[in-house]
Amino acid sequence: MTDVDFDVVVVGSGRAGTAAAYKLATEGLDVALVERAKQPGMKNITGGVLYGQILDELVPEFPEEAPLERHVVEHNIKLLHGDAEVSIGYRDLSLREEPNYTLMLGKFDQWFVERAVDEGTIFLPETTVKDVSQHSDRAVVHTDRPNGDLSCHAVIGADGVNTTVGRATGIQRTMRNEDMALSVKKVLDVGRDTIDERFNLDSDEGAAYIYTGYPEDAPTIGYFIYTFEEYLSVGAVGGLETLRWLGEQGYGGTGTPLYGLLEEFMELDTVRPYVKGDALEEYQGILVPEHSYDTLPDRYDRRVALVGDAAGLVLNKGYTFRGLDYGIKSGLEAAEAAIERTRDGNWDAFGRRYDERLENSYVLEDMKQHRHLPEFLKNERMYGAYPGIAIETLRGMYSAGSDAEGLTWKQAFRAFQQSDAGVTDLLKDGFRGFRSL
Amino acid sequence: MSVQDSLETVNWDVSEEAHITVDNELCVTCEDKPCLHLCPAQCFDYQEDQEGGIYFAYEPCIECGACMVFCANDPEKGAVSWSKSEGGKGVEFDFG
Repeated sequence: MTDVDFDVVVVGSGRAGTAAAYKLATEGLDVALVERAKQPGMKNITGGVLYGQILDELVPEFPEEAPLERHVVEHNIKLLHGDAEVSIGYRDLSLREEPNYTLMLGKFDQWFVERAVDEGTIFLPETTVKDVSQHSDRAVVHTDRPNGDLSCHAVIGADGVNTTVGRATGIQRTMRNEDMALSVKKVLDVGRDTIDERFNLDSDEGAAYIYTGYPEDAPTIGYFIYTFEEYLSVGAVGGLETLRWLGEQGYGGTGTPLYGLLEEFMELDTVRPYVKGDALEEYQGILVPEHSYDTLPDRYDRRVALVGDAAGLVLNKGYTFRGLDYGIKSGLEAAEAAIERTRDGNWDAFGRRYDERLENSYVLEDMKQHRHLPEFLKNERMYGAYPGIAIETLRGMYSAGSDAEGLTWKQAFRAFQQSDAGVTDLLKDGFRGFRSL
Repeated sequence: MSVQDSLETVNWDVSEEAHITVDNELCVTCEDKPCLHLCPAQCFDYQEDQEGGIYFAYEPCIECGACMVFCANDPEKGAVSWSKSEGGKGVEFDFG
């Protein structure tokens, strides 16, 4: 077999790349894990919950060992409309049986990389990949280090949403505004006790809040609040095309950028009690892939596999975001495809075999099942008319001024009549929502 | 709170070389200038005396990649040349 520096070079030490390196190292392959930051996690940002079942299968002791923040036992969806909010809260003690956590990547990724190094991974920090080339008998990862070319049988591109591996190999098409959402996030230092009080939580319990409906009728704009051990994260996310449009329209007369929307959101009467206090610890920004199953970019070539965000494997379900676990699972499928190749030596089949494995995994099953959801979530009625109907109905039920109005269904019908949505819209959207969930 | 105030909480090990550059000649024909409100770190500033009205600073970049998508990848714009920051340099988050 060809003489190479490593069997596999993994580019990027987020959860996807590190899971791949960990798995490869445990199977005895020579694996390098390349990272451009000084330490793991320094360039990484999340606004989500780790659905940890897949990590549990790889590292069963992770709930005890890994630096996790809070065990998520409560989810809230909140629809905003003017000064009002209607919310659905779900709290369930049985969620304690599931390994789902909030986490801070600075600490978590450091731990995970240390585990992969313990298994035999060679970790190369402060190294930025400039190019990847594929040859008849090898692939080469070209880095910005002196003599920094790393030859290998296969490359796993786990280098995030702006993947150099995907762009340099020409695997990935050029991303446009329609493909991406922008997110900005603030981490607030409010302290453990204050979090427990404000969110009605006990010790290590955590909650996730998802908001939509502000500003009214602006599709794809949403917000989140997550509880960490002693910190809160509060963020805004919106499709780049919607954000460009909001700026062009001069929304609110001045063209409100996303960070302006986040500031306004944090000042809403219904939100301020959760996030108040001058406690900003860090401001962050990141792009989030916004594909549906049908618009996912290509993710492999002969000796190259893209995993995690680099392959666009993120799903906004409307009520939660999936991505952290998709990254880990896709990294593991790439590792398995490489392990298979050590048996038959046919490394040219690495990329294709990874893709087949991923297609049959729960990640793409999940995205396929929700293939109509991203389109559904771009419907502006979801961000204006429907929250309005819900709130007008509830106002009719609970406002003392409308006691005599009588039956609730009448009030619901009236609220519906007063909104901009038509009957056909409601039926169509109801069908679409049913189909996509 | 302004973006400038928010950025006070962020750390960088600034590289001597810019990882992102802007060709101002192409800003001249760009009418909507989305960079001014889409960049979350306000690296793009409107300054009348600059060619095309755009002053760009790479130092406060938080490396999100938005300008690659809304400018570099747009065939009608393309003023931004985008790459990742050099190894060990650029933004350093503590609370990702």
